Amino acid sequence: MSELAVHDLHAGYGGAQVLHGVSLTVAEGEICAILGPNGAGKTTLLRALSGMVKGRGSVKLDGAELLGRPPDALARLGVAHVPEGRGTFMPLTVEENLRLGAYVRRSGVEDDLERIYTYFPALKPRLKQAAGSLSGGEQQMLALGRALMLRPRLLLLDEPSLGLAPLITRELFHIVRTINEQERTTVVVVEQNAHLALGVAQQAHVLETGRIVLSGTAADIRADEQVAQSYLGYRV
Amino acid sequence: MSESTQVSDRTTTREQAPVRPGATKWRWAAAAALLAAAVYAPFQLVPFHVFQLTMVLIYAVALLGLNLLVGHAGQISLGHGAFFAVGAYTAAILLDRWDAPYPLTLPVAALVAFVLGLAFGVPAMRLRGLYLALVTLAIAIFLVPLLKRFEEVTGGSMGLSLAKPAPPAWTGLAEDQWLYFLALAVTVAAFLLAASLLRSRVGRALHAIRDNEAAAEVMGVRPAYYKTLAFAWSAMFAGIAGCVYTWVIGFVSPDSFVVNLSITLLAGLVVGGLGSLSGPVLGALFVMFVPSISQDINEAAPGVIFGLLIIAVMYVAPTGLAGLAGRATNSIKKTLRKG
Repeated sequence: MSELAVHDLHAGYGGAQVLHGVSLTVAEGEICAILGPNGAGKTTLLRALSGMVKGRGSVKLDGAELLGRPPDALARLGVAHVPEGRGTFMPLTVEENLRLGAYVRRSGVEDDLERIYTYFPALKPRLKQAAGSLSGGEQQMLALGRALMLRPRLLLLDEPSLGLAPLITRELFHIVRTINEQERTTVVVVEQNAHLALGVAQQAHVLETGRIVLSGTAADIRADEQVAQSYLGYRV
Repeated sequence: MSESTQVSDRTTTREQAPVRPGATKWRWAAAAALLAAAVYAPFQLVPFHVFQLTMVLIYAVALLGLNLLVGHAGQISLGHGAFFAVGAYTAAILLDRWDAPYPLTLPVAALVAFVLGLAFGVPAMRLRGLYLALVTLAIAIFLVPLLKRFEEVTGGSMGLSLAKPAPPAWTGLAEDQWLYFLALAVTVAAFLLAASLLRSRVGRALHAIRDNEAAAEVMGVRPAYYKTLAFAWSAMFAGIAGCVYTWVIGFVSPDSFVVNLSITLLAGLVVGGLGSLSGPVLGALFVMFVPSISQDINEAAPGVIFGLLIIAVMYVAPTGLAGLAGRATNSIKKTLRKG
């Protein structure tokens, strides 16, 4: 639903700069894939977008500046972040986890829960179960469902495929695609599995040592064999 | 490694929580039976034992507060005894200087402790772990000299002696029984308040911060706000407990609230079981009875026995006595189902 514009973003941890001037735009309702090797700054980029790390430069969502606000304020503005490793609240039940996703709202929570069950029917029979007892795939679905409970304008996904079986990963990306189509949510997805990410994204950027080295439509990047070999580490 | 152990421990405790709707009924039945026993007990026991049970109730309220902070919000406090003292002294000073009626001292003590908890909580809750432990320990340390310093109000080292609330004639109760029922009423109210607090959106936010602060934050939960609030609530419950303590003992002095009290409370809570509602009750029983039992075992070194017992309990039941009780109930249920 919303347009994201990142301009000359610098970010890092303490003295260590990770991002050195990243600029990109994601059009409303589009999925943007961020690819690149380990340590390129993909996770840091998402963290800067959700306020978990401080950044310099400019990050605008529909023209409103996001930089300099704390994560909880950004959540209120509709930025939902599914962090690396899912951020599941293990001892809480599945339902409590989902309700926490809608923490910033008080109305419409019950309807949203029903909506989540239509996307993730597997969660429904497990509502009263401790989230820590779910499988990795179910936990990732829970994390995604929890992020949707926020009714996000911008959805940030950090390595959704991490530690999951290929079949489950494919299912998950299929759901991300469905959500994006039905709700017109703008999505930025960071992914090691370039093949899958390029399958659902319209735009893609390749990040290396904190700089964007290549941008284009997902189809172009997938078609460029040399890019695939040198940056993405797989043969098409 | 410790991280994963912790997580799996919590998961097991959580799994004990009933999934079947029938289990909730059993819980209510158990609570009702416990309450019935609590009402019946003072008519069967000698006054000294009634007094001991009254103290258990008081400690249970204090531990309930500490549990909100430590068990549910995942913070630490080595200064909980200080807020207990604040409640006790607030009540004592109101009674001593202004001849305030007893019922009035309770809300005032709660409010004073809450406000002080908030005042200390705002800076303290920006710290974590060891640093937070040190700052809260400092609160406990500076309290005693402070109480001695303002002698005109606090009675200094001599403390303040007060008349205990007298039982109204219509009840036909002895003084110890009346005090017991006052403490019981406060305790039941405090537990109901805490339980409803934890079941709400606020409780979920506290648990989220405890389990994964960063993930809670990106969902819009403000950790600093909730941690400060949890600190203030925990202080409030300590203040309520301290107020009832003043009613029951009829005497306050700085030496009743030394640092050791704070440490005993924390030990009692951990032994009782963090994060459960029965933990504070079991912890209160431990805090009340184990020191006197260890005195019986060896008069020369009661501290050694007390310390060894804490180590023994933590070794046998790392999730506290409440966790042990939960495991026992589960295995009994399993045996019954098999048979």
